Amino acid sequence: MADTAPGAFADDDPVTFEVVKNSLYSMAAEMRVVLSKTAYSPILKSAGDFSCGIFDMRGDMVAQGPDLPMHLGSMPLAVKAVIRAWEEIAPGDVFIHNDPYFGGSHLPDVNVVTPAFADGGRLLGFVCLRAHWPDVGGGAPGSYGVETEIFAEGLRLPPVRLYRRGEPVREVEDIIFANVRTPEEGRGNLRAQVGANRRAAARLEGLARRHGADRLLRIMRGVMDRSEAMMRRALAALPDGEGSFEDFCDGDGILEPGETEDSPFAIRLRVRKSGDTLAVDFAGTDPVVRGPMNSPLAVTASGVYTAVKTVADSDAAIPPNSGCWRPISVNAEPGTVVNATFPAPVVYANHEIAHRVCDMVFMAMSGFAPDNVMACSQGTSAILAMGGIDPRDGARYVNYEVVKGGFGARPGKDGINAIAASVANTANTPVEVVEMSFPLRVDRYELIPDSGGAGEYRGGLAARRVWKVLGHVAEATVCCERSKSPPFGLFGGGAGAPARVYLIEADGARRDLNSKEHFLAPEGSEIWYEVPGSGGFGPPSKRDPAKVRADVRDGYVSAESARRDYGVEV
Amino acid sequence: MTGSQPRYRIGVDVGGTFTDVAVVDEASGRIGVVKTSTTPRDFVAGVIDALKAAMSRHRVAASDVVLLSHATTVVTNAILEERGAKTALIATRGFRDVLELRRSARARLYDRNQEPPAVLVPRHRRFEVTERVGADGEVVVPLAEEELDAIVEEIGNEGVEAVAVCLLFSFLHDDHERRVGARLRAALPGVPVFLSCDVLPELKEFERTSTTAVCAYVGPLLVSYLERLERATRALKLPPLHVMGSSGGVLDVAESVKMPVMAVESGPAAGVIAAAFIGGQIDEPNLISFDMGGTTAKASLIADGRIEVTSEYEVGADANVARWMHGVGHPVKAPVIDLAEVSAGGGSIAWIDPGGGLRVGPRSAGAEPGPVCYGRGGRDPTVTDCDLILGYLDPDYFLGGELAIDTAAAEAALREKIAEPLGLSVLEAAAGVVEVVDHNMAEALRIVSVERGHDPREFALVAFGGAGPAHAASLARELGIPKIIVPPIPGGFSALGLVATDLRRDYVRTFHGRLDRVSPDEISEALSTMEAAGRAVLAAAGVPEARRRLRRAADVRYTRQAYELTVPIEDGTIGAAHLAKLAEAFHARHRATYGHDSPGEPLQIVNLRVGAIGVLEGLDLKAGDAGNGAVDDARRGTRPVYFKDTGAVACDILDRDRLPSRGDAPGPAVIEAADTTIVVPPGWRARIDPRGVLVVEEGGDG
Repeated sequence: MADTAPGAFADDDPVTFEVVKNSLYSMAAEMRVVLSKTAYSPILKSAGDFSCGIFDMRGDMVAQGPDLPMHLGSMPLAVKAVIRAWEEIAPGDVFIHNDPYFGGSHLPDVNVVTPAFADGGRLLGFVCLRAHWPDVGGGAPGSYGVETEIFAEGLRLPPVRLYRRGEPVREVEDIIFANVRTPEEGRGNLRAQVGANRRAAARLEGLARRHGADRLLRIMRGVMDRSEAMMRRALAALPDGEGSFEDFCDGDGILEPGETEDSPFAIRLRVRKSGDTLAVDFAGTDPVVRGPMNSPLAVTASGVYTAVKTVADSDAAIPPNSGCWRPISVNAEPGTVVNATFPAPVVYANHEIAHRVCDMVFMAMSGFAPDNVMACSQGTSAILAMGGIDPRDGARYVNYEVVKGGFGARPGKDGINAIAASVANTANTPVEVVEMSFPLRVDRYELIPDSGGAGEYRGGLAARRVWKVLGHVAEATVCCERSKSPPFGLFGGGAGAPARVYLIEADGARRDLNSKEHFLAPEGSEIWYEVPGSGGFGPPSKRDPAKVRADVRDGYVSAESARRDYGVEV
Repeated sequence: MTGSQPRYRIGVDVGGTFTDVAVVDEASGRIGVVKTSTTPRDFVAGVIDALKAAMSRHRVAASDVVLLSHATTVVTNAILEERGAKTALIATRGFRDVLELRRSARARLYDRNQEPPAVLVPRHRRFEVTERVGADGEVVVPLAEEELDAIVEEIGNEGVEAVAVCLLFSFLHDDHERRVGARLRAALPGVPVFLSCDVLPELKEFERTSTTAVCAYVGPLLVSYLERLERATRALKLPPLHVMGSSGGVLDVAESVKMPVMAVESGPAAGVIAAAFIGGQIDEPNLISFDMGGTTAKASLIADGRIEVTSEYEVGADANVARWMHGVGHPVKAPVIDLAEVSAGGGSIAWIDPGGGLRVGPRSAGAEPGPVCYGRGGRDPTVTDCDLILGYLDPDYFLGGELAIDTAAAEAALREKIAEPLGLSVLEAAAGVVEVVDHNMAEALRIVSVERGHDPREFALVAFGGAGPAHAASLARELGIPKIIVPPIPGGFSALGLVATDLRRDYVRTFHGRLDRVSPDEISEALSTMEAAGRAVLAAAGVPEARRRLRRAADVRYTRQAYELTVPIEDGTIGAAHLAKLAEAFHARHRATYGHDSPGEPLQIVNLRVGAIGVLEGLDLKAGDAGNGAVDDARRGTRPVYFKDTGAVACDILDRDRLPSRGDAPGPAVIEAADTTIVVPPGWRARIDPRGVLVVEEGGDG
């Protein structure tokens, strides 16, 4: 690399370039506002489980909104799938699809793709909004069942038209809403997605009118080229090196005959950073599993990209888009849990494998880039999906929630308590919203003492949420990770507390649940969800005793842990 | 001037650097402004000194003052500097961590070094009491009152200065909270207790807890400040002190301290009120206000003379993450003027990113060291440095000539850090920096207009703040806004808003019901309770019957949405026709805002609102003696000024104070005043209105 600026905007002045680039990113941010304010499901309107992006005519991502890192790698495929499927794309068309084997991530993530055109009908590019619907059919409410084939996971929709030249295609909508558990909610969400896309597509068309289509398209390419150049520089600034790591997942949620608990499987990766490139190889990783813990390669790559961006560009100077990932290669054998092959089920892997891969990259790089990594965070999206008939009005409901654990400790700083980490950034659903919307009562929502890994810099604490089932039998699924391999610490720091999930029946009997399980929760029973904390950084013996005492005073650390882990009497 | 006794209104706006006092003579409509330095160590002394200076300069007798209004940053500063009261929180058993668990999303996606979000009440001062109310408002677990003794004791031992109480579903059933409050007040005299059912009777426990905790945290400080200040103003024989609320409108001290969060955006609200007032003076009801400061730029929209109010706000968050990200500040759900704020201003630093791209901000040189040209040690080129290099600012007449300016240093810094790396001339680089920052600031205007469904071409831009009028034309072009209004005192403009506003107290009440199923009587009842409270406040403030207004509104959404739009409810007894109109207005607003609506979908009322307003007598502004001379008489000289379309051209430099009221100055021109500089690009023209308002418009023969 030369020391001077790369010539990506040679044809355009740097000022116009910056102005157009900022417009592209603020469009994606505006899509977020429109969707949040108009969608119907708590998972979208309150929790923010969706991503927005602006794409060029080849389907490469030019600008990603401030959304979910989890979708970094896979959003471009969602647009490319449309381009591949349909030769003729006209103004007023809107496409929809969700199949992970045709550019999706998992079935509940529904992609709506809208093309944008210059005056005269020339294609400029696309906008895409991927939103997690609370249900797309399949074997369990929330489409989060423990299935063994993708056919059972819900409605598979290849790229099809939702609007043709501005007119809704009723047949497609009718098929969709005959297959989901809460169609009214789904229709509202879909209107919100289409509306947000329409807003952004119109803005893109306005930019072309203002600056000319040629110039706009050139700048869109340039924005990606510049991100690539910046990523190469950021990588070049890191020490060269190589590191590997092997980690185990709790299991795939399927109990084979004779098993009483889920059996773990292994992910192995090797990271090699050399000059301005970085390569991750998953050689030796276990083959696809029967349950839905198989990750499409693009999802696996999202985990890698999130880690690399955190390591190399922590202050977010590099605009996130497809250009960033050109210097990074991800290799995985097809037919493994990190490169799923049809028709393996995938629904949990979308977040669980992406989280895992991201944290593993930190560990693998800790040997040669110790100042740029963090200890393992919660390592899971910790999902609870519940459904049934609401006895208050006889209507069918689906509740989908996430619970957050610790954010890993860093060099010089403690971890953060109960906040989204790595590939995820969805929010909780307020307790009062849960109870007004669903026949449930939340009995506790609190931090778990001692769940942060001990260390010179302590890991972040996890949260616990407890739901009581009121007046009906709920069909529930839990999906989380790290109940068996707790979040690791770094450089002598201790591990965070592992996940624990259990059911307490109305009579007080307790039943431990696997970290992935589909079960019935009887009336009056309580589901206890304790998600993982995060790892500590540096040996606990080096922690300032005053900080340990302050932690005990606040109840983040027990007196017993202070004595045992830190050697501090309180 | 008439022979009767003069009547003056005085507004005092305490900003971060300067305290501005505006004095308006009701009879003549003349405005006087005095600027003094803010005294952060003792705000009261600073305000009193500023008042005395203004009254002596404009020869105002205390007995002739009829209104004294004040905007304060005390609340915001207390939070930013973490100097609030030692606060305790009482929550439902199992939920003391709600304040820390927040909404569990993070503000910065890839920042491994990010700080945890701030928590106002540390965990050891967060207590739990056994009790529970359900989602239907019924008691599930009765309040275990006997547990309160131990809590009271611990609160006493900790030396707690204020208490917030927020129990689940208290907005449906407030009895438990009220009993806890009564017990605490009896046991801890002198410790203010804030109940969430008083502060914010609304759904969503984190937002309600946060708002209540902010009240408790800043309450004692605000009370002591306002009490000391009122004692001092009373000693000067001035009339009762009023405080500007975030939603626009002033309140007396007694009302202000009941709801301390209402003062979080006191100063910015005054600025928007001032913009609406100026628009009213010159018959421009549709305005976008644009306030450009050193580190941030703020925009707000005034449609049909009305300011827009929102309740989504986070205090203490960075401007650049406030954009629909869960930030690291403290959410406050109280009516706040709908402001969009971006991190861009005169102090924004220009830099080259590692990919060779030109960036401006969000880092700012602030007041210290300030721009390179100030010669106070700043080394990074800022927007102000570029304004100087382009000829917009006069090095010999900066802040009225009070500051010595080093243009050469600004040029050297820009050449080294921006122009040479990009292969541009210094002028091109300066123009580029200004274009980028203007585009960033235009985003704030876009958010309040286009994003909310308003067409900016139907609005005029009111530009203020020291640098606003220099950048306004470029922003106006970006959005197709045809007209710019520069008020008479852009540098002390917010203070003017303080004397041009009404008395205002806002009430909100959660009212859950499907619009097609609610009983009109219940709505009427809920509204009239709030209206009665509003009338009482207006009566206590001495507002005569004829000047009392009650404005009613409802927050409405499609039943399954999470965010509401506020729609006005017409006057009169609520009946089916009222509700039908409400529905119609909601669908229209949804369509205008988001581009689609669903007329068949059921609607949900979430909150009912009443704004109680005491209308102040109208003011008529008049300018000083503008004279009837020619534009040429105002000419101070010429200098080269750079414009994007023309490059550097010889440009008339005009003196605003000498512009004749009927003159019409064609661009390119630069109009200078003591507190601002107005840039009139080629193809635009400027004229001054008899009220002292400068209007810059596109078109004419240029």
